Amino acid sequence: MMDGVNSRVISGAALCVRGLSKSFGRKVVEDLDLTISPGEFYALLGPNGAGKTTTLRMIAGLMRPDAGSIEVFGRNVLADPLGAKSIMAWIPDEPLLYDKLSPLEYLEFIAGLWRVEPKLARERANELLETLGLWSHRNERCEGFSRGMKQKTVLAGALIHEPSFLLLDEPLTGLDAASSRLVKDLLLAETKKGAAIILTTHILEVAERLATRIGILSGGTLLAQGDLAALKTQAGLHHGSLEDVFLKLTDAQGASPVRGVTAA
Amino acid sequence: MFSAPGFPWLLRHELRVLWRGSILMRTHRHVILPVLVVGALFQGVALLLARQVAAHPIGQDEMMLAANINIVFLFALMFSRAMTASIDVIYGRGDADFLLASPIPPGRVLAVRRLGVAASIAAPWVLLGGVLGNALAVYGQFWALSVYPMFFAEALLVAALAFALVVVLLRFVSPQTTRRTGHTLALITGVGIFIIGQMPRFVPKPELAQFWASLLPGAGGGGPSFIFARGLLGQGGALAASIAFALAGFAIVWVFLAKPFADGVITAAASRPRGRAATQGGVFRGSPFAASLAKDLRLLGRFPGVVTQIIYRSLTLVPVALILAGRFHVDGIGDGMAVTVPLLVFLAGQLGLFFISVLAGSETIPELAATAPVPPSTPQRAALAASAYATIFIVAVPALAVMARAPGLLPVLIFGIAGVLLSNLLLGLQMPIPLVRASFGKTSTGTVMGLILGVSVSSVWSFIVWLAVAPNPLAWLISSNS
Repeated sequence: MMDGVNSRVISGAALCVRGLSKSFGRKVVEDLDLTISPGEFYALLGPNGAGKTTTLRMIAGLMRPDAGSIEVFGRNVLADPLGAKSIMAWIPDEPLLYDKLSPLEYLEFIAGLWRVEPKLARERANELLETLGLWSHRNERCEGFSRGMKQKTVLAGALIHEPSFLLLDEPLTGLDAASSRLVKDLLLAETKKGAAIILTTHILEVAERLATRIGILSGGTLLAQGDLAALKTQAGLHHGSLEDVFLKLTDAQGASPVRGVTAA
Repeated sequence: MFSAPGFPWLLRHELRVLWRGSILMRTHRHVILPVLVVGALFQGVALLLARQVAAHPIGQDEMMLAANINIVFLFALMFSRAMTASIDVIYGRGDADFLLASPIPPGRVLAVRRLGVAASIAAPWVLLGGVLGNALAVYGQFWALSVYPMFFAEALLVAALAFALVVVLLRFVSPQTTRRTGHTLALITGVGIFIIGQMPRFVPKPELAQFWASLLPGAGGGGPSFIFARGLLGQGGALAASIAFALAGFAIVWVFLAKPFADGVITAAASRPRGRAATQGGVFRGSPFAASLAKDLRLLGRFPGVVTQIIYRSLTLVPVALILAGRFHVDGIGDGMAVTVPLLVFLAGQLGLFFISVLAGSETIPELAATAPVPPSTPQRAALAASAYATIFIVAVPALAVMARAPGLLPVLIFGIAGVLLSNLLLGLQMPIPLVRASFGKTSTGTVMGLILGVSVSSVWSFIVWLAVAPNPLAWLISSNS
């Protein structure tokens, strides 16, 4: 069994990003510094094209940055990508599933990739399938699943190797209210066990309710971060919701008001 | 205010989408240039052939029989393709609901889609038949130009019937099973044509002549069953009747399907629950390679039409089986044991190329393995191993039979299979052959170049082992030249 799998690494900073930059002709992420502690739920917000997904992909080891360093629980993602990946799980907005496999077969595959000890993997798979309401569908092929069911299957795959660090890119897309609550509870339970989570979402209410800290990214630069009170201070607002803070900080760039409609 | 697009606009859109999704366009942007060169070569060969035909005219009855056989074969070949194309235009492209939700009248969408199917199934045959028709016209046989309207008319009728059958089948089975039915029909047609081609080897000449004579139109001209054949031979009335018949078939099916299509009944069948995996307790493996191999073997086994595709590619096993069973003996050639080695090597190459192409096309989420703590080569090694395993599984029985009948050939056979597998698996990984979509809504993968190179590699390896096992490997060349 690989080091880190099934035995959570919770010492030191969960994520330490320094001077991270990436450009595709234009700068997408620029000199980003980010630190997340074990057990922390960090929400990364930003308008479309802010660089959220690129940041997550670089942390997950899917994309090499132009400059900067990334460490996950002390493991250097660039120098030791396999070591870092062994304690991470990445969930993108589009479910990463093989349509021709059943959820149980999918979990077998994931557990094998992360070298989870077979007996433990089986127990964990059964537990996750039951918790996520997929037990009765465990032998059905995923091709007939709704988007929400697919997303839950992917979540089960992400959790089967008990990662210390989870990267979630719009994980609640397509989930109904009950499933959404279930997933939120599951994720919070993971943070209570010491795992750190970084999540991107456009649903500000999710960030407001779940995250211990929120970062607002725009044009590849971190504009502000902290809890809601700190963000309000940074935005110069005494009242208002996260939406107000977000719109103030990002200045609703490029958007025109809808004619005849005034915000409540 | 926008107005609903007209029929020509929609047809142009449909044909453009079909063209851009065609195998040719997936191969290379400039593929049309080599296609034109090959087309010119075909036209040249057709001119030589047409000169022979013009110089040695055959009887009208025989011409009618040949035309009828062509019509029947073409019908069968077009039908299976029309079934899969029909399923694809209903579900595969995923735009049926989008168009139904637009202000375009649903009946117009349905008609255009079926015309698109007809055009796509007619195109290859019109191109092939067209070069011969052109060549015959050059030699004054203008009737041969009727190949153009006749092939389109036949495609129109076939598209209508196949579409109707698909809709009926979808009431009872899933789109996947319906598509499998289309593949099975293609397989039966292919095997049927192969068997008919082999008839002279097994049926004594007098009986064979009697059989063909019974199919001739005779004094009465063969009646209605020869109308399409007469149309293909350029007889004006028959040509007009054939086209009218095809148009009527197309219209009748449209009348019956327009309402259920407009109501969304047809497209709704796509949301039918899909297959269940075989119930099992979960065989978890602690190794990334073993887990990837198991996943790949499952994906191979669940590829649409995998059984029919394997059988279709394994037709070379028919002569191999006959030879191994001792049913083949020709004076001067012997029992043909040496032939089995290149045939099996060729088969192994083609199967290997097919399997690795399936896996390359099924790898819809490479990012998953990329986020796992495994070297990037692990998924590739697993795909190669799974493809090799599946190929060896199929060729193992005939290889064992070769070992029993002629053990001396075994080392060359193993060498050839290993060589062709290694070559074609590596080739297929980079350049998979075109295959049907692994799942609905996913982009097809593969290029014609992979197919051409793969067949070439299999042929080269077959030739190498032929040189090694045949007592006088080039005798056939010398004897045919002398």
